[in-house]
Amino acid sequence: MANSESSRKSYAADFIKSDTDQAVFLGNPLMDDMMTSIIALGAEVWANRRRTHIIELLFEKEGAVTSDMVEAYVPTAEEEAQFKKERDAFIQITYGHIARTGTDKTALTDDAIQDNM
Amino acid sequence: MIKRRTLVGASAATASFVGALFGGRKANAAKTKASGFAAADIEPRGSVGRLERLPTQHLEAQHDFITGFRTFANRDMTRAARKRIADIMRDKNMSPVDDLPIEEVLKHVGDDPLVAASARMWLSAQQINWTTLYEEFHGNADAYLAEMEAADNMGPGTLELNPDMEMPDYTKHEIHIQPGGYVGDDFAGHIYHYGTNNFFEGRNDQDELHIGLAGAVPEPTDGKVARILDQGCSSGQLSVALKQRFSDADVWGIDVGGPMVRYAHMRAVDIGVGVNFAQRLAEDSKFPDNHFDIVTNNIMFHEVSPEGTVEVLKESLRVLRPGGVFYPMDFYTGSGPGKGVYSSFRQWWDSRWNGEPWRLEYAKLGFEGFNQLMRDAGFEVNENGPPSGRRAKRNVVGIKPA
Repeated sequence: MANSESSRKSYAADFIKSDTDQAVFLGNPLMDDMMTSIIALGAEVWANRRRTHIIELLFEKEGAVTSDMVEAYVPTAEEEAQFKKERDAFIQITYGHIARTGTDKTALTDDAIQDNM
Repeated sequence: MIKRRTLVGASAATASFVGALFGGRKANAAKTKASGFAAADIEPRGSVGRLERLPTQHLEAQHDFITGFRTFANRDMTRAARKRIADIMRDKNMSPVDDLPIEEVLKHVGDDPLVAASARMWLSAQQINWTTLYEEFHGNADAYLAEMEAADNMGPGTLELNPDMEMPDYTKHEIHIQPGGYVGDDFAGHIYHYGTNNFFEGRNDQDELHIGLAGAVPEPTDGKVARILDQGCSSGQLSVALKQRFSDADVWGIDVGGPMVRYAHMRAVDIGVGVNFAQRLAEDSKFPDNHFDIVTNNIMFHEVSPEGTVEVLKESLRVLRPGGVFYPMDFYTGSGPGKGVYSSFRQWWDSRWNGEPWRLEYAKLGFEGFNQLMRDAGFEVNENGPPSGRRAKRNVVGIKPA
């Protein structure tokens, strides 16, 4: 691990590697990986959405935008509060349903047919 | 990933100017700069207060997302999993507040999709948190290492590195599944600092939490505070806050991780606060007997093995002067662990899968058990000391007898 792509002195020592990347919680390792992927995808979507907002803000204020301006921009406290509100709403609409996962495992069984009669 | 040209070429002053020009809050470059460090300081997007902004808008936004996601995982998913576990236990005519062995807990709740997802989602966010930071700092390793090299011999404060030091095995784990842990990665301090910022859900960006903790540390009854030791100081935020509270005191921050104290020193130099950082063990600190007026630490003991805990307590007593104050701050230094099936489940997966190998042993000790170890080490123990600012209304304090 140490210092990738540098010949400068390293102060990293030996360490004991975690095995968490092998952990399967959802019954199938691909399901676990997909969950991680979906969350990572959420981070990418949000990053792009936030960037779009900043571009819009800068365009409204200045009439022109460069990537340096986007990188340097620090939202006002009001803008930050609005971003946070929007971010939390995005997370709720994207992931909130997982917190409401159902318990009826008979949805595609004879029991469901009987229930419908 | 930032462009090297941008990384080296853009200055904080530019960022500040541009930020101000275009109507946002000011990205300030006004942190006190030690002589010479400003030239080496990598701060392409300036800083907000004392927090250097992450070097790209994209990485900053990813971490903004992770901050929000952690809040969701810690609140919504935890609430849902806790309720689901309670429902499962009641369906089995068992009480959710019973304390069951973890094997029994997993037998009842381990295959529930919602319960499993709550742990999976938390850990996935943790992995993304570390990975994004790891890629940034390793992707620009040479530049960031040069920045640390420039600060190594600068003041205020000093830095002592002991790369050949013998490290106990318990210190070598990837705590919190951070890549390389505290000792095995040159950017352990960088990664820890930014990774824990979103863990604190944005409430510690200006070290607010650590300033609060430093404010809680009680003084010896004679009021003499000339020397302070912060054990397991990690990125040095508490050490800096202690120095700012006790500005006349000689403050030391020690940590087993060389990269940790290197980063802590660089950050203190950048902020302009004179702390002495050293790569040393809390259980073998090399300080003289009766040296410190205050010895403290923050969220350290739950990451120390049971044997290490006993040794750290003995060493803390040795280096304190008679009448000196020992003030540990951790999950159970003010109250005991949560009870019931959900708490058992949460503590277990945190220990097993979030790289907290001694968390369960620490929980088993609890408030009373830890205090007894302090008595066994020779401290006079006050179980009703001032709270550290966590949820508990008190915190244990040890005094070295005369």
